[in-house]
Amino acid sequence: DSHIQYERVGADVTMKCGSMDWDAAVTWTANGTDIDESHLNGSYLILKNVDLTQSGQYSCYEGSSWHLKYQTYLRVGTPPKEPVLLCRSNNYPKGFYCSWHLPTPTYIPNSFNISVIHGTREMVCEKDVFPKNRCHIRYLQLFSTVKYKVTLTVTNALGKNSTTVTFDEFTIVKPDPPESVVAKPVPNNPRRLEVSWQNPSSWPDPESFPLKFFLRYRPLILDQWQHVELSDGTSHTITDAYAGKEYIIQVAAKDNDIGTWSDWSVAVHATPWTEEPKHLTTEAQVTETTSASTSSFMPPPTTKICDKGAVVGNGAVAVCWTAGLVLAAYGLLFI
Amino acid sequence: GDSWGIFTFLCAALCNLPALPALNCTEELGAGQSIQKTYDLTRYLEHQLRTLAGTYLNYLGPPFNEPDFNPPRLARAERVPSATVDLDLWRGLTDNARLAANYRAYSRLLCYLRALDGQAGTAELRHRLGHFCSSLQGLVLSIAGVMSSLGYPLPAGPPAPPGAPVAPNDFLKKMEDFWLLKELQTWLWRSAKDFNRLKKKVPPAVVTLRLEARGF
Repeated sequence: DSHIQYERVGADVTMKCGSMDWDAAVTWTANGTDIDESHLNGSYLILKNVDLTQSGQYSCYEGSSWHLKYQTYLRVGTPPKEPVLLCRSNNYPKGFYCSWHLPTPTYIPNSFNISVIHGTREMVCEKDVFPKNRCHIRYLQLFSTVKYKVTLTVTNALGKNSTTVTFDEFTIVKPDPPESVVAKPVPNNPRRLEVSWQNPSSWPDPESFPLKFFLRYRPLILDQWQHVELSDGTSHTITDAYAGKEYIIQVAAKDNDIGTWSDWSVAVHATPWTEEPKHLTTEAQVTETTSASTSSFMPPPTTKICDKGAVVGNGAVAVCWTAGLVLAAYGLLFI
Repeated sequence: GDSWGIFTFLCAALCNLPALPALNCTEELGAGQSIQKTYDLTRYLEHQLRTLAGTYLNYLGPPFNEPDFNPPRLARAERVPSATVDLDLWRGLTDNARLAANYRAYSRLLCYLRALDGQAGTAELRHRLGHFCSSLQGLVLSIAGVMSSLGYPLPAGPPAPPGAPVAPNDFLKKMEDFWLLKELQTWLWRSAKDFNRLKKKVPPAVVTLRLEARGF
């Protein structure tokens, strides 16, 4: 009769041939191959310090008749290490998801159990079909002062382990990166690039929970990024691009008030309009950097976001401008 | 014993303050009073609170200043209206209800914060608390101004807190301080969202002063 046996890496394994006596004459095979008698102690099979390669099917046959007396499937593995658990809200205020993984494989099947406790209430985290190690929760209440406590327990035949994370509703908010980022040259403007993007589709309510954006861009030939923070709108015109140089551009998003910045969007490439007929729009061509006259390569004034004149684009509100408003408001209180 | 009676009296007195200056100040601040300004104030306060709360919690000492500290909410009557709300209910709030909820909450929070003032440890901490309370009063006035200019009546001043349930020991008193700061922080997060919604629904041009109609 068939059987599965789980053993730890490095353990010593003793297999008995079913109900056969110790001194019976038997032959053991591993995956069909006869095992040498040196591994036998009577009719028992001794495997010392097992490793992963010794996983497989072990069968025991009675000496003369070749009747199959016992069969087992040996799976060598490890008990689980402490799992890695991450919870995040990319769809605020709808809810959040938690995803997990093991830092090292166990080589045997594992089962996961997740519990979410909010104050005194236990909430159900619905397992996602895909990806597998993920579940999601809907918020029942918003603006909670009580933390969420999520515990993940992983169990297998050789042991168990768990980890817990505790967090406030606001700290795990992190949108997905902006989508459909497009950068285009502006005709007859050799220093401009027009960038536009869309809110991530997972963000359910940009009207009530607006996003702000962070744009970074640099010519391929330089390492230093330039940054622009935008509180409004999903487009921006870069006005200080080096003429004729290919640029790499990325955008990130963040809830206006809470949480952290998203990962950077997929990078897009664009080159400002030039008079010559070569069109280096979106192909990543290695530009002729050294041959180009570096003497004309003067760094233009960096787009200071506080300099009102430099900021172009619908609704781009510079950070300093808002700070000035706040200070003015606060100053008024002391009148 | 006695000090709590004095405290209750003081709180009642302090709590009625915000309502009075509002009647005079809205005339001076005039049409400048806007939802945007109120929103900016909540963001400013939220940033200030981070430093203040850190310092105050350190003053309270462990476990209150531990990042994972997650105590259960005691079943006492909550002193301050909680920011926590059902999502659909929050979405469906009228502008008046939304503003009133903010006004009531901050009036109460201001009152309790002012009470903290006298007892806090170092002079530095008391100074910071005082500074924060001034800013918070500014927020209350700002909200009052928005309500007035939109023609909404100001909610009645907060009732004096019940004298009876008083923290029986030092630890529980510290626990109350902890929850006060937590509630304040959560309200500031919520207000940013409240005023975002108001911004969208009430364009700045509409926010004009209609003091004449109110008979001020």
